[in-house]
Amino acid sequence: MTALVRLRLAGFLRTGRAVAPLLAGLVALGILYGGGRAQPAEAYGVSAVVLFPVLAWQTKLLLDVEPDGQRRLAQVVAGVRRERWAGLLAAGLAALGTVVVALVFPWLVGGVTAVVEPGGRSVAVGIVLGIWAHLLAVPPAVLLGALASRACTGSAGYGVAVLALGGVGAIVLGLSGSAVPWLVPPIMATARATTGALTAPTAALLTCWAAAWSAVVLAGYLWWRRSRA
Amino acid sequence: MRLENVWLRYHRRGPWVLRDAAIGIAPGEAAIVQGRNGAGKSTLLQLAAGVLRPTRGRVVERPTVVGWVPERFPADQPFDVHYYLVAMGRMAGLTSVEAGRAVDHWTERLGLTRFRRVRLPELSKGTAQKVGLAQAMLRPPGLLVLDEPWEGLDASSRELVPELIDEVLADGGSVLVSDHRGETVRLPGARRWTVAAGEVDEVAPTEGQAYAVVEIAVPAAQVAGTVTRLRADGHRVLGVHLDRLGATDGAGVETAAAEGRPGDAPVSDPEPPDVAVSGSTTANTASGGQVAR
Repeated sequence: MTALVRLRLAGFLRTGRAVAPLLAGLVALGILYGGGRAQPAEAYGVSAVVLFPVLAWQTKLLLDVEPDGQRRLAQVVAGVRRERWAGLLAAGLAALGTVVVALVFPWLVGGVTAVVEPGGRSVAVGIVLGIWAHLLAVPPAVLLGALASRACTGSAGYGVAVLALGGVGAIVLGLSGSAVPWLVPPIMATARATTGALTAPTAALLTCWAAAWSAVVLAGYLWWRRSRA
Repeated sequence: MRLENVWLRYHRRGPWVLRDAAIGIAPGEAAIVQGRNGAGKSTLLQLAAGVLRPTRGRVVERPTVVGWVPERFPADQPFDVHYYLVAMGRMAGLTSVEAGRAVDHWTERLGLTRFRRVRLPELSKGTAQKVGLAQAMLRPPGLLVLDEPWEGLDASSRELVPELIDEVLADGGSVLVSDHRGETVRLPGARRWTVAAGEVDEVAPTEGQAYAVVEIAVPAAQVAGTVTRLRADGHRVLGVHLDRLGATDGAGVETAAAEGRPGDAPVSDPEPPDVAVSGSTTANTASGGQVAR
């Protein structure tokens, strides 16, 4: 599976498709951090929200780089299950790379402050919470992108529709007061939690929520790919 | 490898492409899949290779290592030939050293050595097809599935396909091959399956009749007449291609793609070329046909 993951990442990088989502993410983060300095936890919570659709789009691009014929060849050579998991793994690794850029970026442009407010969280705790918030966003974003990929949707139009609905839905249905917040991953809920006093049970609940949502969507993704084979 | 009562359709309410297909192939056997365009040949081959999953029924006893050469090699990838083949070898479970060795062997064998650093999208159709053949052979396959493997290959390279097939069979593997150009006369010992109206049937072998390929050279001006006469005599014309006088093996010449259409041959050659005509003729031998050049 390592060879397949490497081939997909190489294809993604060599075609230059990695540039567009990275630039889009940097522009979005630049606008986000343009308003002044914020505490790391708060800033990273919002950064994860901004990054969610970008990571989903990046995943779709990565999975769509490979021609359909090559995907079928990979299924024959490496096995159907490995081919599917390798795509998700490659997208996950690419997403982690973008997350690292997003975590470093605000320090380069002065978007966050290292000055701790009275009663506030330390910088280290803020960074840890920021990493946690981004890691919660990665699996749902990768799975949304995978659902929008050509292997699932079969056409560019449907793929864009899935991506747009998923991205907008995660934000709109995640707003406080939403009747069905559990329909979407807890991206907005996590951002809200990082701005307030985050307790351990809340952190555990949000983590389980993201894991459960990802597990359900992963099962749907694998079932859909299997039914289209 | 056996297909047990396999049915397949691409969409829930779509028409059945294959219905109740029940066929099998034993180790050391080759089968030629024949049928009209759109009959379901490629579908059958993809079921056998494991690319498609039957809607009903099942495919059993498929060997662990399957080599599949698709009808169109997916050349739109940002890799050069060597990088791609090594990656495919690693994907097939070879170590880096084994993959490198296998790639060296097959690139040389298939005449791809000078294309090793050429990017896949820059390859001609025939060279890309050879890359497709190479990736299928990197790890000796227990089942080799070839979908129109002669497509785009030049005259000298066409002989490579039966050689590869013989090697796989000699190693105890099975081979499935489709072809609409009539090139499968080069596989006189193979079983023949026909796909028509969604059904797969085996054609009973005709006792004592085998085929041989005879390649002849005629002046370009006489191509049309020669082809017509050969067909009138009951022979099958497999292809017509331009060849310079003295180019005995057809290396480096273009091949007219369509069967018996001399008008498709390139006409920009500054010197009057000879034209090689490949045709098949019957040979009433009990022991099987010879492929003659």
